[in-house]
Order: sequence, then C-alpha cells, then structure tokens
Amino acid sequence: MDQNNSLPPYAQGLASPQGAMTPGIPIFSPMMPYGTGLTPQPIQNTNSLSILEEQQRQQQQQQQQQAQAQQQAQQQQQQQQQQAVAAVQQSASQQATQGASGQTPQLFHSQTLTTAPLPGTTPLYPSPLTPMTPITPATPASESSGIVPQLQNIVSTVNLGCKLDLKTIALRARNAEYNPKRFAAVIMRIREPRTTALIFSSGKMVCTGAKSEEQSRLAARKYARVVQKLGFPAKFLDFKIQNMVGSCDVKFPIRLEGLVLTHQQFSSYEPELFPGLIYRMIKPRIVLLIFVSGKVVLTGAKVRAEIYEAFENIYPILKGFRKTT
Amino acid sequence: MAYQLYRNTTSGNSLQESLEELIRGSLNIYRFCDNVWTFVLNDVEFREVTELIKVDKVKIVACDGKNSGSNTTE
Repeated sequence: MDQNNSLPPYAQGLASPQGAMTPGIPIFSPMMPYGTGLTPQPIQNTNSLSILEEQQRQQQQQQQQQAQAQQQAQQQQQQQQQQAVAAVQQSASQQATQGASGQTPQLFHSQTLTTAPLPGTTPLYPSPLTPMTPITPATPASESSGIVPQLQNIVSTVNLGCKLDLKTIALRARNAEYNPKRFAAVIMRIREPRTTALIFSSGKMVCTGAKSEEQSRLAARKYARVVQKLGFPAKFLDFKIQNMVGSCDVKFPIRLEGLVLTHQQFSSYEPELFPGLIYRMIKPRIVLLIFVSGKVVLTGAKVRAEIYEAFENIYPILKGFRKTT
Repeated sequence: MAYQLYRNTTSGNSLQESLEELIRGSLNIYRFCDNVWTFVLNDVEFREVTELIKVDKVKIVACDGKNSGSNTTE
C-alpha cells in the first residue's frame, strides 16, 4: 500500500507536513460535506452544554477505537511493508484529521441534534437534517409598529325574514325617512349605538355606522325590535359583517410619489383626482388610502384581524418612504 | 335644488347629519313620508328682535311646495 491510496487524491498534498496549510485538514470537503467521524446521536438530556460534552466524549471514544484499529493495521503493514515510516505518517495525519474533524463540527451544531443514523448502517454522510451551518435566524424581528388602527365604521346585513310595509314603518316609527321616488327603503336611525339602517320591503336590512362588531350586532337587533313592535313577525337571520373600515396615523409624512414608483402593481396615485394613494394589498385583500400627512385608512375587511395585518404589512413600507425634509 | 333635500337620505354611508342634530341640538324626532317632513323639537327658543319665546315642545310639519311650507305649533 502506498501513500496515494489511503487518502483521497485531493488531500494527498496535505498529508505531509510541508503540504498542510493549517494544523488540520479542512473539515468539510466535497467528499465529506458534513465532516467525518461524527454521527448524530439522539439527545439524552436538554442541557446543550452537556450535550456538547457528551459529543466530545463520544468522539474521543471513537477516535480511540479507530486509532487502535489503525495501529493494529499499521503494525501489520509495518511488518509487511518497507514504507513503515510513511504509514505512520499517514496514520498520524489521519488521526489528526479525524481528531480535528471530530472536534470542530461542534462549532457548527448550534442546535441540538435530533437525528440518529439508521441502524445497521454507518452513514458516510450524516442525515441531511444535520445542520452544517448555524440555523438561519427567524426573519429579523422588526418591531411591531406600536400603532393600532381604530375601527371607524362597520357595515353589516341581516334578514328579518318577513315582508315589510315600508309606509307603515315610516309613519309609525320614530326617526325614519321614506322617499320611494328617490330610494326604495326606509332610512332609520337610533342614538345608541349611533347607527343608520336601510330597511327594505323584502325584509332585508343594512346597518351602518357602528364602531365595533358587537355594536353593529346590537344595533341591528334594536332595529329588528322596532320593526317587531310595529307588528311585523321579524326574526334575526344570517347576520353578517360585510365591511370594516379602520384608520390610523403613522405620525410622519410620506413620499407618495416614491411609493407609487416602487409598488406600482399595487398602487394608484392621481393627485389631481384624489390626494390619497390607493394601495390594493393582495394579502390580506385590503384597500388602503395613504395620505401625505401620514394618515392611513384601511377598508375592505371582513374581520378585524385583516385590518391589523394589513397595517403591520404596510408600516415598514411606509417607514421606507418617510419624508426627511 | 331637490337633490339637496335627499343628500343625507339616499345611502347608508351618509353623514348622519340628522343624528348629529339629534345629539347636538334639541331635535327629538324627525319623519319624512309622502314628501312631508315632521320634526319635534324640545326646549326651543324662538328669538325675534323684540321678543323671546321659550317652548317645551315644538312640532313642525313641512310640505314641499313652491310657495311656502306650513307650520303648526302646539
């Protein structure tokens, strides 16, 4: 056996002390991307430091075993070969290789290993789940904006479940308007919660102006009770919130021109038509009106969370277009 | 001209001026049916240059017409 077969071809130059550039052979090479001599072991305890110590102990044991095996083989070689010195040098460098490779991978295992090799196999390449680089951190924690959009308007619908005589309602109910020539519904208002309802002859009703989901439902129930007291068999079917509008202030001026240039597939800004930039966010599907002053209006939501999510999405973008003058 | 009358009635997204009037002022009830407006106001002060009239309840019935609206108080 000569020197060239024991080591991979690329590492031959590094076997001799003159060829080694560093004290040890590079840990990760094309043939051994995850290092050698280290097989992931199931974690026994949760203390990561002790895990590293365990790994070190295991590696040292492996090294010793391998070293012993190599020494035995080498002794046989020495007896058989005349290049005994070269063999010893090979073994020494191999030991160094494995020693170095056994230790340094720990630096890269920033997370505890939870994979184990399949029984009966000695993996040349450890499980692909073994991370060889530090786990990529989560997307850098950009702080939440700290601003909570306030709900300004909720539009909801409900079905009272019976046909209604709008003239009767307009004549007998308080605070009602009915002009069939102009609009085919009774417009009724109540003070608490301050809302307006459009009541149609089919029995369907639209309730607008509430500031919260619960207020919208409460107001719709109040209108239904008014209609019920007038003698109609009103029910409360299929209450659904159709639209929610929120607004907030980012407290700094915004360069709308810049925003429309970089986000042109989402934005439309025609200052001669309307002073606000109309941003149509895809996910969630919300329309935002963004003004130079930094005030933002969000609409199109079916649930409150969409408003909040849309604002958290737009806030870092708006920060990037803050006016500095 | 007629459109001004309906500005706050056509859509639910209206400015709710009537309701703000309810809160701000003394407008208690309003009604609009058959082109007739009916208002009930409370604690109203009628002020003329020489006279001052205070009233607990005023009912105003107003019809649309070219000449004038009719007023009744009680």
